[in-house]
Amino acid sequence: MNRQRRVIKLCVVISLAMMLTGCWDLTGLDEKVFVIGIGLDKADEKGKINITYLIANAEMGSTMGGGTNEKSSMTITVRASDFISMKNIANSVISREISYDLLRLILVSEELAKDEEFIRFIYSAIKDREVKRTVHLLVSKEKAEDFFKINKPLFLSRPHKYYVNMLRRANEVGLIPESRLHYFLRITEADANLFLAAYTTTSIKKTEDEFRADENDAIAGDMRVEGETNNSQFLGAAVFLEGKMIGTLTGVENRMALMINDTTEVSDVLSVFPDPANKDYQISVRIKKTKNTRVNMDLHGKTPKIHVTLPIILDVLTDPAMNSPVESKKELEKIRKGMEKYMEGRVKELVQRTQQEFKAEPFGWSLYGRKEFKTLKEYKEFDWMKTYPDMKVDIDVSIRFGKFGEQPKTPSYKEIRD
Amino acid sequence: MFKLLKNIAGRKNKLKPGQSKNTLAKQNCQKKQSVSAHIDENIDLMKEIYQIPHNRDVKIRELKIGGLSKKAAIFFISSITDVQSVEESAIKPLLANTRGDAGIDEIIATQNVTAFLDIKDLVENINQGNAVIFLDGSTKAFVFECANFQGRSVEKAESEVLIKGSKEALTEKVIVNLSLIRKRIKNEDLIAESMTISKRSHNVVYILYIRNLADEKLVANVKKRLASLNVDAIQNLSLLEQYIEDRRLSLFPSLLYTERPDRATSFLEDGHIVLLMDNSPDSIVLPATFWSFFHTAEEHYLRFIFGNFVRVIRMVAMFITIFISAIYISVTTFHTEMIPADLLLAIAGTREKVPFPIFFEILIMEVAFELIREAGLRVPNPMGPTIGIVGALILGQAAVEANIISPIVIIVVALSGLTSFTISDISLNFALRVIRFLFILSAGVFGIYGMSALFIMGLFYLVSLKSFGVPYLAPMSPHYVSSGDTIFRRVITHENFRPGYLKPADIKKKGDGAAK
Amino acid sequence: MKQSEGKIGIRELIAIILLSVGTKLTDDTPSILFSTANNSSWMSMLLIGIMSIIPVFFLLKVFSVHRGKNLHEVNIHLFGKVVGNIISFGVLLYGFAALVLDSATYADIISTMYFTKTPFLPIYLLLLIVCGYGAKRGIEQIGATAWLTLFYLKITLFLAFLISFLQGEFKMIYPLWGPGVGEIVKTAGRNLSIFADFYYLGLIAPLVSTYKSFKKGTLLAYLIVAIELVIPLIIFVMVFDFTSIEIMKYPYHEMILYISIGFLTNVETIFLPFWLIATFIRFAFYLYLVVLLFGGIFKIKEFEYLIPVMVVLVLFAGLAPQYGVFTISHLRELLLTSLSPIFFGLPCLMLFIAKVKGDFKNESSKESY
Repeated sequence: MNRQRRVIKLCVVISLAMMLTGCWDLTGLDEKVFVIGIGLDKADEKGKINITYLIANAEMGSTMGGGTNEKSSMTITVRASDFISMKNIANSVISREISYDLLRLILVSEELAKDEEFIRFIYSAIKDREVKRTVHLLVSKEKAEDFFKINKPLFLSRPHKYYVNMLRRANEVGLIPESRLHYFLRITEADANLFLAAYTTTSIKKTEDEFRADENDAIAGDMRVEGETNNSQFLGAAVFLEGKMIGTLTGVENRMALMINDTTEVSDVLSVFPDPANKDYQISVRIKKTKNTRVNMDLHGKTPKIHVTLPIILDVLTDPAMNSPVESKKELEKIRKGMEKYMEGRVKELVQRTQQEFKAEPFGWSLYGRKEFKTLKEYKEFDWMKTYPDMKVDIDVSIRFGKFGEQPKTPSYKEIRD
Repeated sequence: MFKLLKNIAGRKNKLKPGQSKNTLAKQNCQKKQSVSAHIDENIDLMKEIYQIPHNRDVKIRELKIGGLSKKAAIFFISSITDVQSVEESAIKPLLANTRGDAGIDEIIATQNVTAFLDIKDLVENINQGNAVIFLDGSTKAFVFECANFQGRSVEKAESEVLIKGSKEALTEKVIVNLSLIRKRIKNEDLIAESMTISKRSHNVVYILYIRNLADEKLVANVKKRLASLNVDAIQNLSLLEQYIEDRRLSLFPSLLYTERPDRATSFLEDGHIVLLMDNSPDSIVLPATFWSFFHTAEEHYLRFIFGNFVRVIRMVAMFITIFISAIYISVTTFHTEMIPADLLLAIAGTREKVPFPIFFEILIMEVAFELIREAGLRVPNPMGPTIGIVGALILGQAAVEANIISPIVIIVVALSGLTSFTISDISLNFALRVIRFLFILSAGVFGIYGMSALFIMGLFYLVSLKSFGVPYLAPMSPHYVSSGDTIFRRVITHENFRPGYLKPADIKKKGDGAAK
Repeated sequence: MKQSEGKIGIRELIAIILLSVGTKLTDDTPSILFSTANNSSWMSMLLIGIMSIIPVFFLLKVFSVHRGKNLHEVNIHLFGKVVGNIISFGVLLYGFAALVLDSATYADIISTMYFTKTPFLPIYLLLLIVCGYGAKRGIEQIGATAWLTLFYLKITLFLAFLISFLQGEFKMIYPLWGPGVGEIVKTAGRNLSIFADFYYLGLIAPLVSTYKSFKKGTLLAYLIVAIELVIPLIIFVMVFDFTSIEIMKYPYHEMILYISIGFLTNVETIFLPFWLIATFIRFAFYLYLVVLLFGGIFKIKEFEYLIPVMVVLVLFAGLAPQYGVFTISHLRELLLTSLSPIFFGLPCLMLFIAKVKGDFKNESSKESY
C-alpha cells in the first residue's frame, strides 16, 4: 500500500510537471506586434493578393520612458495568398509575432472589390479566430497600400483610435454605413439584399472643374475641403451584390438607405432641404426617426407590391428666408408638405436606382418579406433577389415637426434691412 | 514524498534519540501518598516535593492555632497567590482564634475551604495557586482558594478592530475572560467546565456552552477529544488548536480564533462551544464554518444597508486579493485580446524595456510585498510608519525608474496586498495569501483555464471539509435552516433561526421587532 | 477514502441537472440541430422537450415503487439477471461513449477557440484530472459545488444571451416553419437523446434524500432545462442568419466572440471561466455515473478507486479520433441518433414490465413519503 501510494504520487507530480514544460500559448506582450488595419489589393498573379499591414507603434504616447520620436504606425506590403499565411511571411521583416488582437478594419481597394474572386479571399477571415466578425470592411477608391501610406490624421497619436472614432462618428451621422464583416457575411449568405460598405479615399479632387456643385451629392473624394486638416474622406457607400462590388452610393443616398432600413441606426442626422419660401436657400433640419418603418407587403399577386411608410420627426433649425414661418400654421403646413414631397421624391429616386441599376435592395425589406412565407423552401423559390426589380414600391414619408431650434423666431429680413 | 526521495538518496535515517527516561512517572509515583497524621512527616514530604528552600517562592508558614493549640503549617506559592488574602483571611484568624472546638472551616475566612486526603490533590492545588493547611493529628488537609496570577489588564482589541462596537479584548487571565463573557450572557445555563489536558504542565482548558442550547453530543465529542490528549504541555490555545483540529495539513483552518468577547458570546448564543485557557488572550470557537471566518462583528452592529455594504466590499476585496495578480498574468500573456486597445498598447509599450516576463515580475513583486509585510510586523514602533512609506513608495518607484518592473505591476500587486488586509481573521488571511500564490502559478501555466481548474478543485476540496462534523460551507451548501446570514446578512428581525447544522436544542431565536 | 453514504438534497439535484443538460447548448449540439432544421430548430427543441417528458415520467413512476434502488438494481429486478445485466452493460457503454465524445469535444473547443497553439493532450489531461478529482470526492461534493456556483453561471449565461438578443435581429426567425414541418419533426425524433441524461439520473435516485424531492427536483429541473435549451436556439438564429449557422461548429462560442459590451470589445475571456466551471462539474458528474454503474454491474463496492483507471481509459479513448476533428462530431451524431429510440423506448418497456410484474399492486398500501 505504501509503495502504491508513492507510485501514484509520483505519477501525478510528473503529469503536472509535464504541463509546466510547455506553456505553449504563452507570449509576452513585448513579443507581439499589433496590426490595426489590413489592406487588400489586387495582385498580378491569380489567386494572390497584395496585403498591407498597418502596424501600431506601441511606444507612441506612453508616459514612461518618454514619447519616442518615431512615427505612430508603419505599413508593410507583401504579396500573399491570404492574410493567415501572411502572418508568418511578414516575419521575415517584422521582428515580432504578428497579432490580430487590435484589428479594426479591413480595407479593400475598389479594383479588388469589383473582382469576382474577391469573395474567396474575404472568407479566409472567418477561419482565423483572431479576426473578429466585428471588424469594419471598407472600400477605397485607390489602392489600399497608398491609402495607408498617405492617410496621416492629425491630433491623434494612436492610429487605431482615429479609425474607430471616424467609423463610428461618420456612421452616426449617416454618411457611411456600419459595414462590419459580420453583416457582410450574413447578407451575402442570405442572398437577398445588397451590402453597403463604407467608401473612403485620400485622393481628393483638387482642380476646380472636377468638383460637384452640391455637397449633398458627394461621395468620398468629391467634397472640397481646404485647410490643414486630415487628408482622407469617408463619405458614401460601396454597393456589394453577392460579394462583388457593383457601384457606389453618395453620402446622402446612403443616409436615406440607412434611415429606411430598420436594422441600422442613424441617430444624429442634420440635413438640408430647399426652402419653399426662397429657392436660393436651404433649411437645415435635424431628422429623427423614432418609430419603425412600416412596410406592408402584398406578394401574392402577379406584381408584388410594397408600401413603405417612413415616419420622421423634423426639427427645423435654420430659417434663411427669415420670415419666421413658426407664426402661421399655414406656412408650416406649406413647408411640411414641401418637405414631404421632396423627401419622397429623393427616396423614390434611390429606390428606382436600386431596382434598375443594382437589381437588389439594401433596405432590409427581405426580412419583412420573410414573414409572409411559411417555409424556407417557399421563400427560396420566391427568390427575393430576382423578383425585387419588378416590384412596385410605394413610398410615403410622414413628417411631424419637432422643435424649432433654441430660438424659434428670427427677426424679419425686411425689418432689419429697412 | 520526501521519504521517497530520502530513500532514493540512500541516506541513513534513524538517529538514536537521547535518553528518554520517563521522569514524569517517577514524579507521579512520589505523590501517590495520603496525608499522614503527623504533621512533621507531611512537612518533610512537601519540602522534598517542592525542594524548599531551593524553590524561593514556595513558602511555608508554620504556626500554632490559637485556642486549639495544635500545630499547623500553611503551604503556598507566593508568586501566584494573593498573599494578602492568605495573611488576612487565613493566618490572622487562625492566630487570633480563641475558641477551642472550632473546625478549620469555621476559622478561615476565605471564599471556600475543601478537605483533601491525597498528597497528589494537594500538590495540584498548590500549583493552581491555592494554599494548603496541614493540621497536626488530622489526616485531612484543607485547601482554600486564593489564586492570583499576574497578567495584563483588559485592553483594546488589536487585530479585530471595530469602529462601532465594544473595544474590549480577552486577556491572558481566564478569570477575566470569564468575567467578560458572563457580562454579556447573564444566564445560569452558561456552563464553564474545566479540564486538565496536559500531563506535565497541567494546563487547564475551560469549555463554555449554554446548556439548553448546545447539542449535547457535540459537547461530549469535544470533551472526549480533549480527554484523549496525551501531551506533556499545551501552553495556550494556539497550540491546543493544532492538537485538536480535524486536519493538520490542510490550508483552511477548522477552528475559529477570536480575541473579542462579543464575538465569542454571539457564537455561544448560537449554540457553538467556546474554549478558553490561561495565557491565551483569545478564545477558540468550534465548530467553525467558512462563513464564521469571513464575517466580522461590525456587520451586525451596523444598520442593515451599511452592514451589507461592508460585506460587499469585503467580498470584492477577497476576490481581488486572490485573483487579481493571476488575472493580470493570464490576460496579458494568454488572452491579450481581452484588454481594451489603448491599455494594450500602453502595457506593450512599457514592456519594451523590462527584462523579465510578466510571470516573474509578478512573482518578484508579490514576494517583495510579503517580505515588507512581515518586516513591518516586527519593526519596533518608532520606525514602523517610515518603513512602510520607504518600502512601498520609494522602492516601488525606484524599481520602475530603473526599469526592473513596469508600473502596472506595482498597482496590481499593491491592490492585491492591500485588499488582503480587509480579512481580519488571521488564519483565513494566511490561507488567502497562500492561495494567491497557487493561483499565480496556475495562471502562469495555463491562463484562465488553469485558474478555473484550480478554482474548481479548490471548491471540490472546500465542500468536502468538515469541522467537528459540520460541513465547511454550511449553511449554504448542504442546506440547513439557519439565520440566512451567509454572504449577505438579513434585517435583524428576520434572522430568526439558529444554525441548523449545530443541531441546537432550541432553533428559534427571536420574534419580531419592537412594536411601534 | 471511504465511500461516503452522503445524500444530496433537492437543491443539489436541480443544480446538477441544470448544469449537465444546460451546458449542452454551448457545444456542437445546436449545430447538429441546425444542420437539418435550419432556423426552426427551436421548434424541434420544443418538440423534443414535449416528447421526452413521457419516458422521464415513466421512469419516475417505476422508481416510485422501487424506492431505494438505483437504475441497475431496477433493471435486474425487472428484466431478470441476465437480460438486466446486458441492458445495464449497454447503458454503460453508451454512457462511456458519451463521456468520451463529449469531453473530447469540449477539449477541442478549448483548443480551437482559446488556446490555439497548445496541443490537445495537456488540455484534455487537465480537464480529466480535475473531473476525476471531483468525481472521487463523491456525489455530495459535486452536488454542493453545483449548487454553490449555479447562480453565478446562469447569470452570466443570461447576460451573454441578453446582450446577443439586443445586438441581434428578430426578423431573422422567419420564415417560421423553416424547412417544413416534416423535417422539424424528423430532427426532433433523431435527437431525443439530448434529454437522455434524465435516464441516467436513475442511477443516483437512492442518493437523493427522499423520493419526493427526487421527483419534484427532476420535474422542476426538466421544465427549466426545456425552456433553457429553446431560447438560445432562437437567439443564435437572430444573430447569425440561417445560412451562416449551418456552417458554424460552435455557435455559442462564436456568439461570445462577436458580442461586445460597451468599451470592452472582446469579452469572451469573461465568459470563459464560468463556462469552464460548468464543464468541469458536468464531466465530474458523468464520470461518477459511469463508475457507479460499472461498480454496480461488476459488483464492486468501493468503486471510487476505479476513478483513476477510468480517467486514463477516457483519456486514451478521447485521443484516438484526434486525427480528424470531423470524426468526433460524426460519431456524436451517430451516438445521438442511435440513443434516441432507446431512450424513448426503454422506460416505456420498464413501466410495462413493472405493471405486468404487479409491482404497482402494493402501491396503494405503501406509505407515500
